[in-house]
Order: sequence, then C-alpha cells, then structure tokens
Amino acid sequence: MTKTILTVDDSRTMRDMLHLALTEAGFRVVQAVDGMDGLEALDAAQADVIITDINMPRLDGFGFIEGVRKNDKHRGTPILVLTTESDSTKKQRARDAGATGWIVKPFNPEKLIDAIRRVAA
Amino acid sequence: MAMDPLAAIKVTFFQECEEQLSELESGLLAMEAGDTDSEIVNAVFRAVHSIKGGAGAFSLENLVRFSHVFETALDLIRGGDIPADQDTLKLLLRSADVLADHVRAARDGGSVDEGRSHAMAEELEALAAGNGPAVAVDEDTGEGFADFEFKPVLIQLDDVVAELPVLPTVDETQKVKTFNIRFYPQVGLYQKANESGLLLRELARLGDMTATLDPSGLPLFDLLNPEDAYIGWTIVLRSETADEAAVREVFEWVEGDCFLEVAEEAESTGLASDVSPEDASDDSSDAALHASGSTSDDFDVLALIRQAQGAEQAMAEPAPVKPAVATATPKVDAVATAAAPKVDAGKSREAALDAKAQASARDASPQTIRVDLERVDRLIDLVGELVINQAMLAQRVGEAGLQRASSVAVGLDDLEQLTREIQDSVMAIRAQPVKSVFQRMPRLVREIAMMTGKEVRLLMEGEGTEVDKTVIERLSDPLTHMIRNAIDHGLETPADRIAAGKAPEGVVKLAALHRSGRIVIEITDDGRGINRPKVRQIAIDKGLVAPDANLTDDEIDNLIFMPGFSTATSVSDISGRGVGMDVVRRSIASLGGRITISSRPGQGSTFTLSLPLTLAVLDGMVVTVAGQTLVAPLTAIIESLQPKVGEVRSLGPNAQVIAIRDTHVPLIDIGRTLGYRLTSPPPTEGVALLVEGEGGARAALMVDAIQGQRQVVIKSLEANYRPVPGIAAATILGDGRVALILDVDAVMVPRPHDFPVLSDGPDDLANSILPLAQAG
Repeated sequence: MTKTILTVDDSRTMRDMLHLALTEAGFRVVQAVDGMDGLEALDAAQADVIITDINMPRLDGFGFIEGVRKNDKHRGTPILVLTTESDSTKKQRARDAGATGWIVKPFNPEKLIDAIRRVAA
Repeated sequence: MAMDPLAAIKVTFFQECEEQLSELESGLLAMEAGDTDSEIVNAVFRAVHSIKGGAGAFSLENLVRFSHVFETALDLIRGGDIPADQDTLKLLLRSADVLADHVRAARDGGSVDEGRSHAMAEELEALAAGNGPAVAVDEDTGEGFADFEFKPVLIQLDDVVAELPVLPTVDETQKVKTFNIRFYPQVGLYQKANESGLLLRELARLGDMTATLDPSGLPLFDLLNPEDAYIGWTIVLRSETADEAAVREVFEWVEGDCFLEVAEEAESTGLASDVSPEDASDDSSDAALHASGSTSDDFDVLALIRQAQGAEQAMAEPAPVKPAVATATPKVDAVATAAAPKVDAGKSREAALDAKAQASARDASPQTIRVDLERVDRLIDLVGELVINQAMLAQRVGEAGLQRASSVAVGLDDLEQLTREIQDSVMAIRAQPVKSVFQRMPRLVREIAMMTGKEVRLLMEGEGTEVDKTVIERLSDPLTHMIRNAIDHGLETPADRIAAGKAPEGVVKLAALHRSGRIVIEITDDGRGINRPKVRQIAIDKGLVAPDANLTDDEIDNLIFMPGFSTATSVSDISGRGVGMDVVRRSIASLGGRITISSRPGQGSTFTLSLPLTLAVLDGMVVTVAGQTLVAPLTAIIESLQPKVGEVRSLGPNAQVIAIRDTHVPLIDIGRTLGYRLTSPPPTEGVALLVEGEGGARAALMVDAIQGQRQVVIKSLEANYRPVPGIAAATILGDGRVALILDVDAVMVPRPHDFPVLSDGPDDLANSILPLAQAG
C-alpha cells in the first residue's frame, strides 16, 4: 500500500531532495511550496503523513499546522516538522500548533523514512 | 536527464541560491531605504535560512558556517532584538556579498577571501552578542550536523513477536536495568496524531517490556467523550542497553502531552528515582492517575498492538463525536478505541493520486525549461529564413498581378502576420530581464563607495525590462564602467555635497525602459555635473578640438567620448584603467546602440543608452547605390534630404561638403567609397542621408535613391564570408537578393587602403552568401 506524503517547503532544493528520498523509498509525494499552498493541496493530496518546513512565505509552518488541525478531515494526519531550527521555543511552538514530531535538517534519508514509518505505521 | 539526481538537485540548489541572494540583497536594500515591513525582514531571513538549509544537505561546510552566523544575526533583527539601523544594514549588505562569494566558491570549487569572510563573521557575531540576548550557537553547525532529534525506531509486528521472547540471560546484577514507567497520554497527544500503540511498540524495542493497561480513568459510558484521553499504562521495562535518556527519548515527541514517569529501579530500594510530572493538569489524566493500579489488567505487548490496530480500524470512518458512542458496542475494545481517537486513519487513503493532487505539485516560481542556446539560435535562424521566404513569396505574388483582395493575397497577409508573430515570439526566447546585469550593481556601488569615501544610494528601476541575451551579456562592462564613473567623477564627497547644500548621500539611478522598439538605459547621478571649462581645456590641450572652436554645451559634453580623453587628473583606482568613455561608446555602438549625455552643472548628469532589443534583426533604410541595393541602419540616420544646387561645395578634387542649416558636413558618396564607381554623379541627382557616427561626428552619405524602410534579418558576414571594410553585415531581401548593411562609422572615415575596389560590384560576395543563407 503506497503511502502518500505531502511535503511543504519553499525551497526547491529541499522539495527535490525530499521527493528523491521519498520516492526511492516507495512513497508517493505531493509537493506544496508554502503553508498556503499546503492547505490548498490538503484535500487533493490525501496524505498519510505531512512533512513541513517552518520558515516559509505567505503562511509559515506554524500557521500551516494549525490550519491542518482545524480541518476535521486531516486532524489526525501526522505532521513532521523538517527544519534547520533546533531551538526549543520553536519546537514548543510547533508542538503547540499540533505537530507530531520534528526532524532537524539536513536530514538523513533513511532516518527520515524511519521517522515517517514511526508515525504512519 | 541522465544526470545523477543528486547532482541535478545540486544544480537546482545553486540556482536557488542565486535567487535567494538577489532576494536577500533587494530586501536589505529596501530595509536600508527605510522599509520596515516585517515581511521583508522575514524574506531576508528566509533567504539566508534556505541557503543554509540546502548547504547543509550538501555538506558545504564553509557555506553553512557563514550562513549560520549571518542567519543568527538576522534572526535577532527579525525578533527586534537588534535595531536595523543604517550601520547594521551596511554590515548586512557586506555580509550578503561575502555570502555570495561563499555560494560561488562552493559552486565553482573556488575559495573565498578567508580573511574577509572571517572578519565579517566576527562582526556579525559581535553584532549578535552585543545587542541581542546571548545566542547559543546551535550544535548543528560546523562539522557536527545534528541529525535527528530522536533515535528512530522502526518496528514491525513480526519483529515484536520475534523479539519478545528474548529475555535477558546475562547476570542481572551486572547490567540489566529495570525501569518503571507510568505513561498517561493526554488529549493533546492524540490531537497531534501521535499514537500510544506506536510509542509502546518503540519502547518494546529497548528490551523486555510488560505493559499494564489502566482503564480506571474511563468514565461511565454515557459520559465518555471519544475525543478525550482516559487510559494509561504502567510499564515495566528491563533493558541491557537503554538508559533513562533512551527511554525518555521514545516519548520525546509527546513530551508535554502526557504524564510520564520514568524511574530506574534502584537495586536496593526499588523506589522511583525520578518523577517528571509534565503538566498534569488535564482532568482526565488526573483521574486516571488517581485510580491507577486498582483495577488494571495485565496486557502483553501483542495485545496492546492489536488493540491499537483495532482502534485504528474502528476509527477508519471518522465518527461523529457523541452519537457514535451511543451506538458503539460496549466492549472493552470499543472503549479503547474511543480512548484513542484517531479521527482519520491512513488505511482508507492508499488510493492513487488523482490528477488534482498532481496539479497541486506546483511551483511558485514560473515554470522554466533549460534549452541549449544553440537550439534557440538555430530556431531564430530558421525563422529568419521563414521571414525572407515569406517576403519573397509576397513579392512574387505581387509580380503575378494578383488582386489585393484575392484569396491568395489575403492568405499571404495572414501568413505575414503569423510570420511576424513567430519571429517576435522566437526573439522573446532570447530575451531576458536586465535584472541579471542590474543586480551586480549594488555590490559594485558599495565597493566603490567604500574606496572613494563617498556615500551613495543606488536606485534601480525597470529591472524586469527584457532585452536579447547577447545584449545583456555585453552590457555588463559598459554599465560597470559608467556606474564607476558616476560615483568616482560625478558624485562629490559628502563634505563637498554638504557645502553645496546637498544631502551628504549621493544618488545614482539606474533605469531601464522600452521605448519605440529599443531598450533605453539611463544612468543618472545627482553630482556636480560635467565641468565644461575643464573638459574643453583638456580637449584643446590634447589637440582634440581647435582652440578657437565654437562649441555648444552639448558638444563639449560629448567630448568625453572622444578617444584618448580622460578628465581624471590621476589614474584613480576605480575609473581610470586606461578605459575611457570612448571605449564605452564603442562597445555600445557595436551593439547597434547609441549613448548620449545630458548634464547640468551642479545638478548631475544623465547618460542614456539606447540599444536594439535584438541583434538578429535591424531596422534599416533600403537604398540604391550604383545599381546595388544597400541597407543603412535606421538608428544612425538623422534625416534624409535632397541636396540643392548651391548647398554643395567642393573642398578639393575629392572632397565635398554640404551645408545643412548653419553647419557644413562632409559629403560622402557611398558608391565611390565602396568602389562601385570611380566618379560620383552630381549630388543634386541623389539623396543625402545625414548620419551621426561614433563621437557625434556627422556626415551626409550620398545614395542614388531610397527604396524604403524595412526590418531586415542580419546575416553575419564574418560567419558566412569574411569581414568586409565598410560593411557591417548582410541581409536577404524579399526578392531574394543579398543586400549589404552599411557600417556607417567605417564609411564616414574612409581611409583609401581600407576599401579595395570591388571592380565587379559585390556580386561575388552575394554569390558566396546566398547559398549559405538559403541553406540556413
């Protein structure tokens, strides 16, 4: 059963890397370029897991996570925050917004896949 | 396509870096200009942040290190801890330059000026340390890129079965630790899409685990809220390898969303050694806690997992909150289900991506493809042929005497229209915004400002104006030189400016716009303007003009374009590199462009460049000379006139001038200059084209007749034949004949040895070009 991952990141580099790592691991990948785009893509993507950046234009990761959690259909979708930020206040904000877990960039593809399986088992 | 995907992503990364760098710079410049919009500050931060993120992914350590220091400072500015004053912004702009150096060094495998980079990093660190709260530098910089915040544990159901019986067989006094864990999820844990079952599964990986469900917190069935959390577990974990930190790590993501107690059993006392009551304020978990232990049943891990899976399956259909409880079968499983309110389960969603989902994989930036330039140029060439062909066809149809309204003629009109559109569209492929040249200028301005001790603000307008790629590439040097001149020669020192009643900061403005099918670039400064008496004196001293010459202001201003002219008293570090405005003028002219200057003493100067949008087509005046058809570039022609008797005067056997209004300009017979004929017909029988060449000199070029104006496709003579003095290029006209395009500047200063007599006319030339041109 192929699982679908929605990746939300404003960096094309990061989106491409995620796409490469995730498709190689057999996931389907839907990409969004910022939080706003991510919310718009939500219904169509039908993601099993969402991976989102924090620092993005238009709508940042915190806002995006809150938006997902407000949506009844996607309230239960695990959201992993993938960010270079590792300071605890940001982590706490992401958690308060409703993030399931967080991963610090740069990511190791194997570990990323493990993290996805950890929440999407 | 066959490229290694990672290498391809790296290419993308460096492209993105360039975009981020330009975003960074324009953001900082906007801030410097007083824009305090928080979105700009955020964009600036994000630019550096993104570069750092990507650099980390490719282990570009120098880039990561510098961008991290930079980012830290920007984060403090973003948070308002450091005021974004002018000094800070200047520092940030210089840092952006160093960051750009780092990016390019990483891309091209070069190195950066270590000393400068280091000094800049220290300045940034001092800025961050001095003004903001102490910033702990993340450990994820430098060599030790932090990885994950947890030790990911993958566990499959089969693994659990396989691992469960593995009981510690070693001497227990030696290493095996026993942890007593109390884990009571709170509602937030489920709201964040975490799963107790999955957490327990991971915990089981650490050793031999026994988990006991504590359902005592469950309320009466009618009061049960399926979205709430009621149950908890008491867990005993025996592990050889795990320490308390490892146990806690399993729960890291749910920290704060559960009550968690991890106690390592002391060998002697067996008492809890550590209690960490996170916020245990949630009523339900309190209740669960209070009642824990009293009515618990033992569950093994497998049962727990089955339970968790059952929960997931049962919840696959999102249940309406309260009514669902009333209809649920009152079994323990169902209760457990309710306690794990995963509203939306993943199972039902393995459906393939539909088209809509794929459409959402869009990109915010305009979609682009990279195409080999040769292919584009080939296309342009072919379209040029098409235009010629279409013109020839039109001419034949005209010669055949068909009516304008005939269907063939009408169809041909449509074809012509289409051909033009195709030509424009194809030319547009090569067109690029001048931004790529403009964006190099802010840095240049900063550096020159620093070297000259002047204060300069650079304003840019019309960066999106598009022009042919080749024009852009060849615009960089002249623009650089002109900006240098504007600051070095044009602007005064801050002290002089204040003395002149101006703001200490000078303004240099760079603007691009489209005007009547050409691109116009203006470089304006608000400096002292051209010092005309000085310029005039220098020109006289250097023998460029006669001491008694009566020159208008315009003419004096234009003297700076004369070869060998330089106003700098010393060869300064900046402008004077032996390259004067004459070189600028020549390089602009080689692009088919003109440069003009207007200056007001004490108020500044404006240099205006006017360039063709493309080098592939030319607006030309088609003329007849000695039975030959030639094309004169329209840009060079000021006016055309019919010489009258009395206006022409001979200055010797081979020199004539013509009086045009109150000046005399040399009269040049093109036919004789190019060797088509040995004697010129009387000027009164021909047409004079008044042209202006390099350096502003004027001449009247005599031709026999004007055929009309036409846009022609330029065919290089160098590429198809060989350079011919006096001829810039060739083109093919509608009748299929080759016409040579005049090099106006060259024919204006005829030196006899430059022009071999073409005794047979240019037909041999035409014969050489035509087959090539038709073959494409």
